[in-house]
Amino acid sequence: MKTTRKSNLIQIGILAVLGLAVVLSLVVPQLFRGRRDPRLLSLSVMLRDTDSSGWNAARQGMEQAADELGAELRFLTLTTAGDGAEQEALLLREIEGGAAALVVVPADPENLSAGLERWMPVCPVVTLESPMEGAAGTVSPDNAALGGQLARALLRDWDGGEALLLDTAGRCAGVTDRLEAAEAVLLAAGVPVRRAEELPEEAPPPWVMAFEPSATQWTAERKEAEGWDCALYGVGTATAITAQLERGGIAAMAAWSDYAAGYLAVRRAVEAARGEEGELTPLPFSILRREDIYAPENQKLLFPIMSSSSR
Amino acid sequence: MSFFRRLAAQWVERYRRMSIQMVLSLSFTAVAAAGILLMGVSLVWRFTAASEELTAESSQRVLAQANLNLDSYLRRMMRISDTVYYRTIKNTDLAEGDLTGDLSLLYEENRDDLVSLAVFDGRGGLVSAVPLSAVKRDAAPEESDWFRSASRSMENLHFSTPHVQNIFDDPDYPYRWVVSLSRHVQLTRDGATESGVLLVDMSFSGVEQVCRDVTLGGGGYLYLIDKDGELIYHPRQQLIYTGLLEENNRAAASYRDGSHRERFQGLPRQVTVKTMGYTGWKLVGVAPARSWMDASLQPMLFGLTLLLFGIFLIAFLNYLISARISDPIRRLELSIRELDRDLGSVRIEEGGCYEVQRLSHAISAMVSTMRHLMDDIVRQEEQKRRSELEVLQSQINPHFLYNTLDSVIWMTESGQQQEAIRMVTSLARLFRISLSKGKSIIPLADELEHARHYMNIQQIRFKNKFTTEIQAGPGTEGLYTLKLIIQPLLENAIYHGCASAEDDGVIRVTAYREGEDLLIDVEDNGLGMRPELAASLLEEDRPEVRTGGSGIGVRNVHQRVSLTFGEGYGLTIFSEPDEGTLVRVRLPALTREEADRRQRGEVL
Repeated sequence: MKTTRKSNLIQIGILAVLGLAVVLSLVVPQLFRGRRDPRLLSLSVMLRDTDSSGWNAARQGMEQAADELGAELRFLTLTTAGDGAEQEALLLREIEGGAAALVVVPADPENLSAGLERWMPVCPVVTLESPMEGAAGTVSPDNAALGGQLARALLRDWDGGEALLLDTAGRCAGVTDRLEAAEAVLLAAGVPVRRAEELPEEAPPPWVMAFEPSATQWTAERKEAEGWDCALYGVGTATAITAQLERGGIAAMAAWSDYAAGYLAVRRAVEAARGEEGELTPLPFSILRREDIYAPENQKLLFPIMSSSSR
Repeated sequence: MSFFRRLAAQWVERYRRMSIQMVLSLSFTAVAAAGILLMGVSLVWRFTAASEELTAESSQRVLAQANLNLDSYLRRMMRISDTVYYRTIKNTDLAEGDLTGDLSLLYEENRDDLVSLAVFDGRGGLVSAVPLSAVKRDAAPEESDWFRSASRSMENLHFSTPHVQNIFDDPDYPYRWVVSLSRHVQLTRDGATESGVLLVDMSFSGVEQVCRDVTLGGGGYLYLIDKDGELIYHPRQQLIYTGLLEENNRAAASYRDGSHRERFQGLPRQVTVKTMGYTGWKLVGVAPARSWMDASLQPMLFGLTLLLFGIFLIAFLNYLISARISDPIRRLELSIRELDRDLGSVRIEEGGCYEVQRLSHAISAMVSTMRHLMDDIVRQEEQKRRSELEVLQSQINPHFLYNTLDSVIWMTESGQQQEAIRMVTSLARLFRISLSKGKSIIPLADELEHARHYMNIQQIRFKNKFTTEIQAGPGTEGLYTLKLIIQPLLENAIYHGCASAEDDGVIRVTAYREGEDLLIDVEDNGLGMRPELAASLLEEDRPEVRTGGSGIGVRNVHQRVSLTFGEGYGLTIFSEPDEGTLVRVRLPALTREEADRRQRGEVL
């Protein structure tokens, strides 16, 4: 009788397990179906310029990442370039507006970090160009290495004379890193160096270095307009800058893929918003001269293929 | 090895201890589940294979359509090239005319697809171009791949991989991505022909649009490579260019047309390749394995549910069926166990399926038979005990003893000492044989001796009113018989046959063998009786008739013989009035060994 009772219990147990398996096989697919469509993340992208024309390639990369990872982007610019306070105010408004994460080109990383300190745990921030304390990540080339390499490009051409280093970064740490690294290399090589926040009214020294794309562009345009006979070394991959390089307005420039930068920044922001770990490595960069522009690899770097659907 | 042996032994032991319901239920469920699982796996395998095949077919159809569209687009470009060459260049002497007008017309007609149309002489000098008419200061068209290809292979048209147009001097620096179609042409100048190169720069967006509109389901995509595997179009082209993404384009260049399975970056996928006719470009459709796995996931999960439900139902049915089989058996077992305790009142249940009902019925019938047999045995034992008690009583029948001893006294008083001695001697022998050391089966010779002594006593008592003949036939030597079966018959013969007869009586005892039986006839020539009366003497319900003899009746002898040896043995009485009576005892011819075995109770 004991055996019979035990047998009955075993069989009822087996039936219960099978019944449970039937129920689970019905329920589990529904659970997975629910997980398949993660909610669309709302991301805000904040530049430190007044317009985003210089960031077209980066924007393409961001949109590609947003499309792939299920995010929607809001692009914001400042009314005054490099206005850290305005940037902070705008970002706070975005956070209050429900942004899941922020991608920022910080105008003043230090103050911005302090301003967003209590918000960053709930709304991760990824920075472009300059690192920021508390940020979920920074997408930029190794700024010091970039500045040093650009200075060495100048040294290869240098045949005497003072070098003017345009200190247009304000409180932007990434740009400052480039400048300081370049300055160190030049000083070490015995090149007389002078820092200036703006271009002089009259002809500048024979060697000029700019460390951010907008400064590079307007310096080249001014040089072309004024007919200055100076060698300009700058950074950036915008079409206008590349055209200046091709026309000879820029002697050499440090270039990296803005497309990749934008893509990586949004990807990391999405990861951070979803609580996932991610790792960012410094972007690779190249020092390009006029003759390098049309090398196949540089074509891919300088002239991103813009999808006609998004153009 | 010993572990597995031990495990197997454990399972065998466990199986041995399982209830029949468990064995039935588990075995059937396991076999059915295995069958269903096998069928399920087979279906999944076939379904997945069919899904993959469908995906391949779908990819091939999509690629065929994309090939048509792209081929159509490229042929349009080739027709433009043909038009420029055969209608303009061949009809124009550059010394007299200019190509620009016709080129402009063609460009305007196809400006959505074209970036530029240009004709260069054999040294790379610009002959004519639209919409831009000047080359860059340091441009070197003759060093371009498209120029070299056209100069090297003059018969063919050449399509380049995408590149940024860098020949023409455009103040806007648009840096357009183009695919260059170039061919060698014969220019005419002053009536003389010279080599040249015609360049048709197609906008890359034209190729991109054709390819971009093609979609493969389930995360699949299409890309385009040249014959060396160089990427022409890819939906994530810029990510590949920037090194954020990799594609297996070099390997795809080596694939033949059709669908292939490959594993790229650890993920399985299906790659379908279609080579374009003229250009040698290859359209590559990539379908990740999950595209058909995902498509078949829901049906597979539904199938899994059905499969599990099927197993559940079968297990449930097996449980019920096995319970229906085993429960009546279990109840039957309980009933049989009850029989151990109480045979009389237990009722055997006859439930369950047909076979169990039959089994229960058979057991019930068996139990009934057992009851009857046991009743019989009890009754027989009772009778046996009673008969044997009567025999014991007969051994010390006081009346017989009194009469005999009275006769001895009388003979002694009358001086018949020899007669008295003979009588006492016979009496002593009679009692000795009666006792026979407590044995119930004794040699036939002793039984006959016993009869002889008895008759000696009775003859003395009845003053030789009858004579006695006792003889044993051949073959009876060494045979055994129940003891004290002849004496009661002699007693009957004396008291009912000869005692009251007027003539001298003769009582004859004859033992002889008939086959395997021993027959003992006790015959007298006394009064006899009617055959009906003779036949009724052995009936059980006939009232006991006591005689003045030893007290053991004929029926007692009959019962003892038939109870000891079975229904076929016993007494038969033949009698006719005034002619006498023959009582025949039929016994098995027992040897000494058989007699001993029966004595020990080994034979019932």
